[in-house]
Amino acid sequence: MPAAKAPATLTLTGAIQGARETIPFMPGLAAFGMAFGAAAAQKGMTLAEACLSSGLVFAGLAQMVALEGWTRNWTFSALIALGLLTFTINLRHVLMAAAMRPWLGQLPAWQSYASLLLLADNNWAAAMRYRTEGGSDVGYFVGAGFITWVLWVVSTAAGHIVGGGVPDPKAIGIDLVVPAFFVAMLLPNWRGRREAVGWGTAAVTSLAASYLLPGWWFIAIGAVAGAFAGGFTDDER
Amino acid sequence: MTSVDPGTLLAICVMAAATIFNRTAGFFLMRLVPVTPRVRRVLDALPGAVLVALLVPNAVRGDAAMLCGLTAALVVAKLTKSDFLAVLAAMAVAAAIRAFP
Repeated sequence: MPAAKAPATLTLTGAIQGARETIPFMPGLAAFGMAFGAAAAQKGMTLAEACLSSGLVFAGLAQMVALEGWTRNWTFSALIALGLLTFTINLRHVLMAAAMRPWLGQLPAWQSYASLLLLADNNWAAAMRYRTEGGSDVGYFVGAGFITWVLWVVSTAAGHIVGGGVPDPKAIGIDLVVPAFFVAMLLPNWRGRREAVGWGTAAVTSLAASYLLPGWWFIAIGAVAGAFAGGFTDDER
Repeated sequence: MTSVDPGTLLAICVMAAATIFNRTAGFFLMRLVPVTPRVRRVLDALPGAVLVALLVPNAVRGDAAMLCGLTAALVVAKLTKSDFLAVLAAMAVAAAIRAFP
C-alpha cells in the first residue's frame, strides 16, 4: 500500500525539477502549438486572438476541434454548443483533478486551485508518476504545467506568424507525442490483479463507448468504469 | 494582427470557462466525498484508468502508424524506463510508416 507518503509541500525547487523534466518534450509540444497557431491563422483569427485562446483556454485538443466550427458571428446557441464541446473534450480533466485530491487537498485552498489552473495532460501524468514514486512537492506539477503553458502560448504565436510554412504534424508523428508519453507513464502503475481488472474494464468500456456514442464521452465513461472496477478489486493477501 | 473581435473574445471566454470548470470541479467535488479506504482505492485506480481509456480507442481506431508507434513506445518504455526514448521511438516508427506506406 502506498499509505506512508510524505505530506504535500509547494516549493520553487520542486517547480524547477518539474520544469526541467518537461524540457525533453518541448519540441513535440511546440510543434503541436505551432500547428494550432497556423490553423488559427487560416481560420482568420488574429495573432492576438490565437494567443488569447492558447493562454486562457490552454487545451490543445479542444482548441483544435473548436476551430472546425469557428466563425465571426457567434449566436447564443453556437456559444452554448462551443461550451459543451469544450466541456466534453476535456471531461477527463475532471477525473484527473479528482485523483489529485488526496495530494493537493493537503495544501491551502488558494494554492491547490491556483495549481489546478495549470492542469494539462502531460504535467498531470508526470506528476502522478512522481507521486507514485513517493514525491510530495506539488511544485513539480506547477513547474511542469507553467513551462508547458509558456511554451504553448509562444509556439501558438510562432505558428501563427510562420503560417503555411508549418510542416504537417502527422507526417513527423507529432500526434503520437502525447499518447506515447501516456504509455510510458502508465507502465510504472502496474502492480497486478487490481490493474488487470481496472485497466481491462477501462479498455473494453472506452472502446465500446467510442463506437456507440458521438464525441468524447468514451474517455470519461471508460475511466470511471475502470477506476471502480479496479478500486473494488481487493488484493489477495 | 493585434485586434481582438468582441465576438471572438466572448467565444474564447466561453471555452476558458469550460476548461477552468473541468480543471477544478473534480477536485472540488471530492471534498464532499469522505475519503474512506474504498474511495481511496478508487482514486488510486483512476489515473491508470484515465490513461487506458484515452489510449485504447486511440490505438485501435487510429491508423497503422498510430498502433505500431504506440506498440514501439510500450516496448521501449519497458526496456529503457525512459519516457523520452519511448516518445522518440513512437514518432520515428509512425513517421517511417507514413513516409513509406
